[in-house]
Amino acid sequence: MLVRELQSAESVLEIDRLKVNFYTYDGVVKAIDEISFALEDGDTLGIVGETGCGKSVTVLSILRLILPPGRIESGCILYGTKDSCIDLTQKNDEFMRSIRGNDISMIFQEAGNALNPVLSVGYQVSESFLLHRQQELCESVLNRIAEKRDRLSAYQRFRTWRYRRKLRKAEGNLLKDRHYGRLLKVEALRWSVDLLRSLGIPNPDELVKRYPHELSGGMQQRVVISMALGCNPAVLIADEPTSNLDVTIQAQILQLLEDLKERYHSSILFITHDLGVVSEVSDKVIVLYAGTIVEFAEVRELFKNPLHPYTSALLHSVPHLGSRERLESIGGNVPNLVSPPSGCRFHPRCPHVMDICREQKPELYRGMEGADNRHLAACFLYQQEGVA
Amino acid sequence: MNFLNYIIRRLLLLIVVLIGVTLIIFALLSLFTPEQRASAFIRDIKQLEHIDSIIKTYGLDRPIFVQYFNWLREIFRGNFGWSTTVSRPAIEAFKNFLPNTVELALFSAPFIILGGIWLGSVSAVHHDKPIDHFTRFLSIVGWSLPTFWFGLVLLMVFYGYFRGLFPPEILGYKAQVFVESGEFVRYTRINTIDALLNGRFWIFVDAIRHLVLPVITLTTIQIALVMRIMRSSMLESLGKGYVLTARAKGAAPRTVIRKHARRNALIPVITVSGWLFAQLMGGVVITETIFNRKGLGWWWAKAATQLDIPAVLMAVLFNGALFVVINLIVDLLYAYIDPRVRLR
Amino acid sequence: MIFLKKRRIVLDFEQHPRLKEFKFSFSKILRNPLSLIGLSLIFLFLMIALFTPLIAVPEKPEEPFRIPHEGYSVVPKPPSPGHPFGTTTKQYDIFYGVIWGTRTAFRIGFMVVGSILVIGLVVGSISGYFGGIIDEIIMRITDIFMALPLLILAMAIVTALGRSLDNIMKSLIIVGWPIYARTIRGSILTIREEDFVRAAQAQGAGTLRVIFKHVLPNAIYPVLILASLDIGAMVLTAAALSFLGLGAQEGYADWGQMVSLARNYIVGPQGQPFLYWYVVTIPGLFILFFVLGWNLLGDALRDIFDPRLRRK
Repeated sequence: MLVRELQSAESVLEIDRLKVNFYTYDGVVKAIDEISFALEDGDTLGIVGETGCGKSVTVLSILRLILPPGRIESGCILYGTKDSCIDLTQKNDEFMRSIRGNDISMIFQEAGNALNPVLSVGYQVSESFLLHRQQELCESVLNRIAEKRDRLSAYQRFRTWRYRRKLRKAEGNLLKDRHYGRLLKVEALRWSVDLLRSLGIPNPDELVKRYPHELSGGMQQRVVISMALGCNPAVLIADEPTSNLDVTIQAQILQLLEDLKERYHSSILFITHDLGVVSEVSDKVIVLYAGTIVEFAEVRELFKNPLHPYTSALLHSVPHLGSRERLESIGGNVPNLVSPPSGCRFHPRCPHVMDICREQKPELYRGMEGADNRHLAACFLYQQEGVA
Repeated sequence: MNFLNYIIRRLLLLIVVLIGVTLIIFALLSLFTPEQRASAFIRDIKQLEHIDSIIKTYGLDRPIFVQYFNWLREIFRGNFGWSTTVSRPAIEAFKNFLPNTVELALFSAPFIILGGIWLGSVSAVHHDKPIDHFTRFLSIVGWSLPTFWFGLVLLMVFYGYFRGLFPPEILGYKAQVFVESGEFVRYTRINTIDALLNGRFWIFVDAIRHLVLPVITLTTIQIALVMRIMRSSMLESLGKGYVLTARAKGAAPRTVIRKHARRNALIPVITVSGWLFAQLMGGVVITETIFNRKGLGWWWAKAATQLDIPAVLMAVLFNGALFVVINLIVDLLYAYIDPRVRLR
Repeated sequence: MIFLKKRRIVLDFEQHPRLKEFKFSFSKILRNPLSLIGLSLIFLFLMIALFTPLIAVPEKPEEPFRIPHEGYSVVPKPPSPGHPFGTTTKQYDIFYGVIWGTRTAFRIGFMVVGSILVIGLVVGSISGYFGGIIDEIIMRITDIFMALPLLILAMAIVTALGRSLDNIMKSLIIVGWPIYARTIRGSILTIREEDFVRAAQAQGAGTLRVIFKHVLPNAIYPVLILASLDIGAMVLTAAALSFLGLGAQEGYADWGQMVSLARNYIVGPQGQPFLYWYVVTIPGLFILFFVLGWNLLGDALRDIFDPRLRRK
C-alpha cells in the first residue's frame, strides 16, 4: 500500500485517479473513468453535469456506499490534513461507518425519501448522536444525574458509579442497557432539539414528535441537513439538495447551507445540474461529462471564460437575462458507458474535434499561461500549456 | 368523527355481504325438496315427525322470498335450525366445534407468521444469492403440496411408522374421558388452555401431541404466503432512500435492516396475516377431515356432503362475517401502525 | 442505434420496443434457476399430455379416461411388469391413471383459469375504467362472491347437481373470478392516471382504443402472474374435492380421485407401514410436481415483472 500524501496543504479531501465500474447484464458500465480532484478546506466545490454523468456515483464512492454490481476498481480517496491523511479505499467497513455521518456527511436530493416514514423526526435526528457521540451522551447523562445526586437512592448511585467506570474503560455498548439506553435516547433527543433550534427551525420540541410526512418539503430538507450536521462533519456532501424544491425554498436552503458552513467550518461538495445554483453557491467548480472531469475552475472564471467545448456549449444552452441569442443545444446523444467513445469521451459531439481526440484521452491541462493558473480543462486544445 | 363514520360504513358493508351471500346459497337450495329444507327450521329431534306441519308453518312450499324472510326471522330469534349430521341444534354444534378450530388456528398462526417473516427477511437481504433461491424454492414446494396428501403422508410416517407418536384427532382416549368428567372445568373449551388452567399438565402434553401433525401440515403449506409478501416488501424497503440515508449516517448493516427496512416492510405483512387468520378460522376443512379433528371445518365438510342445510347456511354466514370483520380489523391495524395512513 | 462494433449477421435495426421487452423478460426467465426448474416441469408434463395415447394405450379408445382394471380385488398390488406403478384398490392401474390424469389436470387448469381470467378481465375492466357508481356496485358484488366459502360451496353444488368434474369446475369458476376482477381493477385505477393515458386521450383516442392499446397491456402483468399461480391452485383444489369423493367418478383418470382410492391403504399392516406406499405417494407426487412447476413459474414471473426489480 502506497503511503500517499495530500498534494496541497489546504486540501481536506483528494480524489486521485478514481475508477468505478458497474458489472451489469448489459455489460461493464465504466461509470467513472480515472477522475482526480481536490476539495480545499473551507471551500464549496460545485460538481456540475447532466443526469447520468456520474456525479452521484463519485460522491457515493467517497463514502464507499456503492453496492455490487458497482465496484471501485482503482484510485485513492485521501482524507485528512497534510500531516495525517488516510486512504478511504483501503479501509474496512467498520472504519467507514465511523466516518459516515461523523467526519463526512451526506444529504440527498429527495428529502421526503431520505426520511423513514415510520420513525419520528426526533429519532432520526438523534440517530447520528447515538451512533457517533455515545461517550459524550453518556457523560452528559451522568452529569445530569450527578446534579440530582442527593435525591438518588444508594442503588442508583451504585449504578451510576458502575457506568462511569465502564465509560472510562470504554467498554460495552451502553445503548443496550435497558435503563441507561433509554436515558441516552432522551439525552440525544434533547441535543436534537437544540440542534434544530440552532438551525432556526421554529418549535423544535413539537417537531421532534412528528413524522416526516407531516412536514413540508422545505422543512424536511432542513431536518435532513440537521441530521447530517449533528456531528460536525469536516466535509458535507450535498447531492442535489434543492433540485426538487420551489425556488423560494431553494433560496432559503442555500442560505442555510451558507450560514452553517461558516458556523461549522465545513467544506462542502455541492452536486447539481443547475448552473444558476452552482454560480451562487460554489467557490470552485468541476464539470463532469460521461464519467470524466472536463473542466475545473473558480466559479466566476468558469462562467466568464469556459475553456472546454462542453462547458461553453452548456453555458450557451442556458438563457441569460437580457440576451437575445438563440439557444443552442449540443448535438448528438449522451454516450453509452458500456462502450464509451474512444479517447476523449466528448469527441463525437465536439465542434472542435481533432484526430488526436479520437485516439488518446486528454489529461487536465492548464488553460492559460502561467504556472499558478488553476483553471484546468481536459482538452487537447490546451495541451501545449502543460499538464496541471 | 371520521373514525366512527368509517366503522359504520364497514359494518353496513357487512350486512350487504351477508345478505348477498345467503341469498345466493338460498337460491341454490331451492333446488332441493321441501322436506330437506324443513330441517332448517326445527330445533329438536322430535319435531322431525311433524315435518308436514313444519313445511306448512314455514311456507316451504311458498315462493322463495317468503321462505328467505321466514328463515331470517328465525335467525333473529336465535334459531339456526337442526343439524342432522351431528344431531343437535346448529347453534350448539357451532359452540361445540368452534374451540377446536380456534385452537388449531392459535397454534399454527404464530409459526406461519413468524416463520414467514424470518424467511422472507433473510431471502430479501441476500437477494438473488443461493440462500434466496433455496428458501424460495422450499417455501414454494410447501405451497404446492396438496394438503390432504401431505397430511396423509405425515400420518403414514408418524402414526404408522413411529407407532402413534403424533396421533390424529384431538385427545387420546384417557384424556378425553377425563376432560368430559366432572373433575375438569372447561373454561374456554380449548383443550390446551383448559388443561393449563386446570393444572393438568399431562392433558396439556397430550393435546399438544395431537396438535403437532396438523400444525406442521398447515405451517409447511401456508408459510410461503407470508414469506413471499415479506420478501417483496422487504426488497422494496431496502431500495428506498431512507435506507441509503441510514447507511450514510454510519449505521451498522444489521441496524439498517432491523430498524429501518424491516419496520417498513412489515406493514403489508399485516394484511396477509389477517387473511391468513381468516383462512385458518374458516377454511381448514381438509386438515380437520384428514386428522379427524372435530372442528368447524370437519362439521361443515360433512354437512355439505350430506346436505345438512342449517349447517351449510351457518357456514356461509360465518365465512361472510369473518371475511368482512377481518378486513376491517386489518384496515384498522394498518392505520394504527403506519403513521401515513391515519384514517381520513 | 446501429452497433458498429458488433458484426452480426442478424439485422440490428431498431427493434420494436415491445419485442425487446419480451425478449428481456424471456432471458430473465431463463436465468433464474427457480423459473428454469418450473419451466422444465411444465414442459415435461406438456410432453406427457401430448403423447398420452402413445405412453398409456387406452383399452377403449372412446373412453380413454376410464382406468383399466383387471379384477375387483381391493388390495393394491405393488409395481410389476404389466403395471409399472402398481395397482390401487379395485385393481386400477396407477400408471395409466396418472398419465391420463395429466390431461385431466391440464384441462382443469386451463379451462377454469381461462374462464375466470376472461370474466375477471371484463368485469374488472368495466369497474376500473368507468369508476363511479358502476365501480361501487361491482365491487360489492365481488365482495359477496369472495366471501363465499369455496369448499362448502363446491360441495353443495356437487351434491345438488351431481358428482362430476364439470360441476367442480363450475364451482371453482364461480368462486375464482372475483380476485381477477379486483386485481385488474386495481391495476387499471393506477394506470388510468398515468400521463401516457392522458396523452392518448388528448390525441383523441376513443375509449375502447385507450383501453385495449394503452391501459390493458400495462395492467395485465399482475393478472398473468395470478393466472399462472392459479393453474396450480385450481388443480390442487379440484384434487382435494375429488379426494373427498365429490369430483370425478370412481375409476376416472384424475389424480385426486386416485389418492381417494388409496384411502384405506395409507398405512400398511402391523410392522409393514410402508407396504402400500405407491398408492398414495405416486399420484400425490404427480400433483405436487405439476403444481410446483406452475408455482415456480408464477413466482419467478412475479419477480421479473416487478418494475422495481426489473432493471438490476
